[in-house]
Amino acid sequence: MMRNRSFCLSLALLLVLQVLLTGCWDNVELNRRAIISGIAIDRGDTEAEKYKLSFQVIVAEEISGEKSRGISPVALYTGVGRTMFEALADASRQTARFLSLGHVRVLVISEKFAREGIKDILDVLERESDTRLNSEIFISKGQPARELMSTMTVFSKIPANDLVEKLETTSKQFGYNFRMAVDDVIRGIQIRGGGPIINGVYTSGDREQAGSNDSLKNIEPRTILRVSGLAAFKDDKLKGWLTGDAAVGTVLLHNNLREYPSLLKDKEGGYISFNIYQSQVTLKVQSADPEHPVITIKITQQAALKESPNTLDLTSPRVLDELSDQLTEETVKQLKAAVSAARGYKSDYLGFGQALQRKNPRGWKKIKDHWEEVFTTCGIRFEADVIIRHTDMRSNSFQIY
Amino acid sequence: MGKVKFGLGEFFCLTVLFELGTALVVNLGMESGRDAWLSILLGCVAGLIMFTGYAYLYRKQPDLPFTAYTRKLLGKYIGTPVALGYIILYINLAARDLRDGSTMLAMATMHNTPLFILSTLMLLSGAYVLHKGLEVLGRTSMVFAVVVMLIGLFGTLMLMLSGTINLNRLLPVLENGIQPVLASVIHQNYMFPFGEMVCFTMLMPYLANVKKGPWVIAAAMLFSAFLLSFTMALNISVLGEDIVERSPLPLMPTISKISISDFIQRVDIFVVMVLIIGVFFKMAVFFAAALVGISELFRMPYRRMLYPCALIILFTSMLDARSFIEHLDEGGTLLYRVYPYFMVVIPVVLVIVTAVRDHFSAPRPG
Repeated sequence: MMRNRSFCLSLALLLVLQVLLTGCWDNVELNRRAIISGIAIDRGDTEAEKYKLSFQVIVAEEISGEKSRGISPVALYTGVGRTMFEALADASRQTARFLSLGHVRVLVISEKFAREGIKDILDVLERESDTRLNSEIFISKGQPARELMSTMTVFSKIPANDLVEKLETTSKQFGYNFRMAVDDVIRGIQIRGGGPIINGVYTSGDREQAGSNDSLKNIEPRTILRVSGLAAFKDDKLKGWLTGDAAVGTVLLHNNLREYPSLLKDKEGGYISFNIYQSQVTLKVQSADPEHPVITIKITQQAALKESPNTLDLTSPRVLDELSDQLTEETVKQLKAAVSAARGYKSDYLGFGQALQRKNPRGWKKIKDHWEEVFTTCGIRFEADVIIRHTDMRSNSFQIY
Repeated sequence: MGKVKFGLGEFFCLTVLFELGTALVVNLGMESGRDAWLSILLGCVAGLIMFTGYAYLYRKQPDLPFTAYTRKLLGKYIGTPVALGYIILYINLAARDLRDGSTMLAMATMHNTPLFILSTLMLLSGAYVLHKGLEVLGRTSMVFAVVVMLIGLFGTLMLMLSGTINLNRLLPVLENGIQPVLASVIHQNYMFPFGEMVCFTMLMPYLANVKKGPWVIAAAMLFSAFLLSFTMALNISVLGEDIVERSPLPLMPTISKISISDFIQRVDIFVVMVLIIGVFFKMAVFFAAALVGISELFRMPYRRMLYPCALIILFTSMLDARSFIEHLDEGGTLLYRVYPYFMVVIPVVLVIVTAVRDHFSAPRPG
């Protein structure tokens, strides 16, 4: 009798436990998911359509190849709404599958929206548990953001991935763009008297065929997605674009520049190029009088000579010392350009205020409400030191006899 | 009583997991801003002082749980209601931790799963382990302590390699002086998670080594305080003070910042694992403390009240608040208004009574 009962009991338990075997309650099978790789955020014309979100959705069959129909590897769906969340829900009316936010790699915000303010956009990106803080943010330079999400790219079937890879490549080789994720931007907006800096992106060439594979059938792609410029913000509003020296200097001050070319004008004409492969900035603040702080920017760099088609005697240390002095001047020029650009925008996106706060928290409390004014007038000193480590695989360059 | 004996290693692991519990994943001590790590360490010092009191009581009566010495020291008529109060406290704490855990799980990953299902499954696993006996809980803790440590080591290493740690975000230390840190200690940190050690007074009679036992527990408290403090410092140095303060589970976004060559990434599921393990042990220890109390006070076998008690915990956790915000708010009030009586006032009274009794009944030398 007893054995019988416990047998029935364990059988009942087994049946109940079956329910748990079906897996998670929230489970959505992979073939019911549509993975979003990038989102473009445009400003709609009316308040009811304020957020115009374009989702670049990966068409998995086209990527893996076996069952591909030769259609576009990604599809773009657009939703509108008064909030970001409503726009997402709106877009789901067009898609056959659940839009999955877990793999968003790129967020492009249009310049128009950025000038109006991006604070409201970021809240949902931070709050939603599916989205990642690691998504990279871009500002589309002078064109609607959705155009950047609807441009075919050569090296990756998924344009959003291509964009991230481009950013990575340029940050490793040419300089002044670097990875800017959602949380970096949020922290940037919260800098008192400052703002974030965000990478710019635009397309060059003919937009007519940008979204079609035909654009890629030529050796020279009709449309090219380019990472360029840094958008400088005050609080959450875009104030202007940094390019050239100002951009290089700004990124140097953020300690985010990995490698970039630096050119010197030669006496004999032409240029000498260097690769700066190592640079380190430290900020020193003298703030005995917080109303008039003095900020010393100390920078050390290491360079390698890359190109010097002239008659300079590169085996002489004195010549190289002279060149490194010139390089030092060049670096200081870039830093100065960055500082004066920031002062022009009245925005401390360089983080001088934070350095002051770390050094003298009490003094910072007194001046933080009018930091913008202090920032534009405070003393700034430069201490630069550039070392040319070597001249690569040759000493002097070859000459015609 | 006293048949089951815990080894020192098991007790160490159990204490560490209990202390880490939910505290590891939540924004602990953020009332003091970026000095949270400091207030955790100070909270631990306060907790250790309280623990010396508990250890003193234990040394005097190594075979009795807390609910027994209230009656022994305060007499039957005062001691019994006090002991009952403690049992209710433990049940309440277990229920609150269950609610914490299930809601956080729902917030973090399982958005559509009903809270009741999550709670039931978590509670049943705890009840099952306790059904197997207290020594099973101890041995389980050793396994999971290793898992949690490995996850912690992996996460820290990967964050360092990802280059997302910026120690400047921890500066300046003590920007607004020491007051906010002390305020945070007084409002939260001495009690959560260190004051909650009071429930170990129910389990200490099972210690195999009376002499070393309290030292091992104190060492475990200190160790977990360092881990908690380190974790909060890590969170702040990765995310910045403001984001941590606004996140109910800051460890999750911190870990999600791990990205190595776009290959090793999305490891935040480890945090969910740590959360589940932590909630499991915290709840199970409170649950065990309540059961030991019930079986001692009402003189009934320990297993008979297991499932009824589980039901009470489950329904307390479900009915305790309508929303998580309400739940947290209630928790703050309880922490400040109710728990100090149980964790400080009554033990202090007991310590005084014991000391006075000892003084008068000690055999005079000579």
